[in-house]
Amino acid sequence: MLNLIELTILFSTPLILCAMGGFTSERGGVINIGLEGMMLMAACVGALVSARFGAVGELVAGIVAATVMSLLHWLMTQKYNLDHVISGMAINAIAAGGTNFLYLKLSDPAHGSNLPHLPITLFAITGIALPFILWLYSKRTRGGLWLMAVGSDPDKARLMGLQPSNVRLWGLLATGLFTGIAGVELVAYTGVFTDNMTSGRGYIALAALIIGGWRPIPAFIACVVFGFFSALRLQLQGTPLFGAELPPQIWASLPYLVTIVALAGLLGKNRTPAGLGRP
Amino acid sequence: MKWRLIALIVGALAILAGAVLIAHASPLASLQSLFHGSLGTPVAIAGTLKETTPLLICGLAVFIALRAGLFNIGVEGQLLVGACTCGVVATKFHGITGMVLGVICGMIAGTLWALPAALIKAYRNGHEVITTIMLNNIAMLITSMLVSGPLKDKAQSDTATPYVDANTRLPWVYSNPPVQINLALVLGVLLCLGMAYWLKKTVGGYELQAVGANRTAARFAGISPQKVTMVAMSISGALGGLAGAVQVLAYEGRFYDGFSPGYGFDALGVALLAGGNALLVLPSSLLFGILSKGGTALQIDGIPKGITTVVLGLLILIAAAIRFRQVTKDA
Repeated sequence: MLNLIELTILFSTPLILCAMGGFTSERGGVINIGLEGMMLMAACVGALVSARFGAVGELVAGIVAATVMSLLHWLMTQKYNLDHVISGMAINAIAAGGTNFLYLKLSDPAHGSNLPHLPITLFAITGIALPFILWLYSKRTRGGLWLMAVGSDPDKARLMGLQPSNVRLWGLLATGLFTGIAGVELVAYTGVFTDNMTSGRGYIALAALIIGGWRPIPAFIACVVFGFFSALRLQLQGTPLFGAELPPQIWASLPYLVTIVALAGLLGKNRTPAGLGRP
Repeated sequence: MKWRLIALIVGALAILAGAVLIAHASPLASLQSLFHGSLGTPVAIAGTLKETTPLLICGLAVFIALRAGLFNIGVEGQLLVGACTCGVVATKFHGITGMVLGVICGMIAGTLWALPAALIKAYRNGHEVITTIMLNNIAMLITSMLVSGPLKDKAQSDTATPYVDANTRLPWVYSNPPVQINLALVLGVLLCLGMAYWLKKTVGGYELQAVGANRTAARFAGISPQKVTMVAMSISGALGGLAGAVQVLAYEGRFYDGFSPGYGFDALGVALLAGGNALLVLPSSLLFGILSKGGTALQIDGIPKGITTVVLGLLILIAAAIRFRQVTKDA
């Protein structure tokens, strides 16, 4: 039982961090399909740097890598006025291919699967605290309200003297920071980078954000539920159910199935930020 | 806007040059081996055309959804279930019957696999990108489970379905081994022409593109966006399934674990590069066929295959940036 709670926290943390990265981006009006790619890039660069410069270097490098991807998304959506989904997909493609390339070319095979890393508890605490901080930030501070204003109605925000693309820049910098931490956390607890190791977590986090109505605390709860199902899968895998042992692939598809069902069933009131995807 | 586009292209080239330098290869030599590996010899050209076939059909699948304003990232999953279903059905029947039934069942499977995403998009407004990606992951896991368990051919050591009979396979239209071109490619080209006609000249095609251009305006014009979403995703899923079925019947002869090297994802680039014209899917898929075949040659030179995915991403960005420029010029 305790193990299940531990596993739930372990699996939820990257989802929460990533969903909060999605929050700062999407509440500002930038659709962010590219969370997956940002996280993957952070994981890869983090792992590469960790082998040479240790745990703190890993964190810094991961954040920088995710921020670079995030800034590319800002540039493409705000300056080149690209469709946000297209830009996000391109970022995912660049990250998927780029990490495969970089890791094959630059990794040091001598290190094996025990890269130095920061304690996992630190990531978990960040993951639990962050949604509450962001909730307060978005309700109580000037910067947070600016972000919400730009995301809800960019035209009115412009009339109030805000420049949406500038406010969104800060939002996307935060996205880089949070997805960067999420990516580094993934490498920290597996101890090694593997191709496409995020395996859809960025999309699941985005689904959690949507199900949570683009609000930090409900999104946090959704992430914990997804994390719980992933943990459950690991606990139940191999144990017989109704007298028959289910193949591992069935268990592995559980988190994805839950995401689809949740999207189909739990979307109630439309809370989509009205300025989402608009210039 | 022009200087921005140039900056983007220069940036993309700089990234690629940097990557080639990291790999300790010479940019010119890699470019040469890319083209030699894809277009240098008749065998290489036939290989490129073979790679082009699934990219063309999948590209059309993504394209038609895109015209309706939908991002069907799920073509990969639809291709997998289509191929798996076809692989099973085509071994149960023989000759033309097996061929036709295999293709039809593959298309039905693809449509069914796209259906949850279509329903959630049309009636719950849940984003299709997320649902289709989840469906991709599930398709990969389930087909892998099926071919390693109940559908596995005991005679082979691989996790694969039995081979399809030689007379059930799609015939070659040009065969001078090792250079062979399959009927599948002709089928793809005909589909492309058909789709271009359908989108341009029929009411259904017009309605589909009207919803893609402006959902609200289409609704006021009396077109049901829900219906169009369902239709577009069904066609898209059927095409994805078809791509898988054809891949089994024309080239692979069976379904196996790890069947698709990511045709469904590359197809996204194919469709985006083609922009608004169905006929442009042809050259666009050929370009990706060249990249894919040439990428294998690069791998032999010690440049990881991931580089072609990076090229795909950069091409998507550039293509989308060019399209935007055209939009503002018209407006």
